[in-house]
Amino acid sequence: MNNKKTVIRFFTIADYEEEEVWLHNQHKNGWKLMKMIPPCFFVFEKCTPEDVTYRLDYKNNTETSNYFQIFKDYGWEYIGQCIGWLYFRKSSSEIDSEQEGEIFSDNESRVDMINHVVKTRLLPITIIFLCCVLPNFLRSITDSDPIATVFTIIFSFLTILYIYLVIYCGLKLRKLKNKYSNN
Amino acid sequence: MNSKIKRIYVPMTESGFYILFCLQQPQHGYGISQQVKQMTGGELIISAGTMYGTLSKMEKDGLIAFDREEEKRKLYRITALGEEILNLEIKRIERLYKNSKGVKINE
Repeated sequence: MNNKKTVIRFFTIADYEEEEVWLHNQHKNGWKLMKMIPPCFFVFEKCTPEDVTYRLDYKNNTETSNYFQIFKDYGWEYIGQCIGWLYFRKSSSEIDSEQEGEIFSDNESRVDMINHVVKTRLLPITIIFLCCVLPNFLRSITDSDPIATVFTIIFSFLTILYIYLVIYCGLKLRKLKNKYSNN
Repeated sequence: MNSKIKRIYVPMTESGFYILFCLQQPQHGYGISQQVKQMTGGELIISAGTMYGTLSKMEKDGLIAFDREEEKRKLYRITALGEEILNLEIKRIERLYKNSKGVKINE
């Protein structure tokens, strides 16, 4: 009998709402989230299937003991953190109104979180791409050295990955921001 | 008064207003949310993340200050600057209310 499972699933910085739904469904199927191991491992433990709301907050290590106390007072169970994201859950039986199942009750604070993600995540990966990955890629193509071919392959892969990530996350975060700004 | 602070907080969000209003008495995050829930008949519930974010921002901008700690909970209290902002907001809302009722103010 296996009471534990580890699932590999990659969510980008713009997929936190999908991640919340996915974790909710896991719990509904009798798998309770125990911990996250960066970058994309989730450890679950078998449990009684239950309707539990999962929420992710992005604090990037700026959280304080007062932060945890407030979440605890509101009935949120803290699961752990993974690369700047904090994971919370609350049983749906304890949620009487829609807002009690949310960690943000107004759009200003939802947009604030997105801006924080853009500033401390999206911007740094864009800078790393422009200053590190792209120049190395361009240098490796112009170089005729045989070893350079290996680098070309590595850096073309990285270039494609970075372009994809930056565009995907940039567009999706902008969409999320618009969703909450126009509401 | 700092015009930048004024620009950020006047007008302020409904949650922001209630938080600042409640902090005329020392209170902690969850306590404020319970008080607001009661004051608005359950219409306005300020969630944990919004509460923490607003308190942190207001503390940073000097509208509220740390008062004391009680059972690991941080209690805040409004500052002189916070009171100034709160009064500006109250005046603005009063004007809004009077105008919406069709009452002329400067008669």
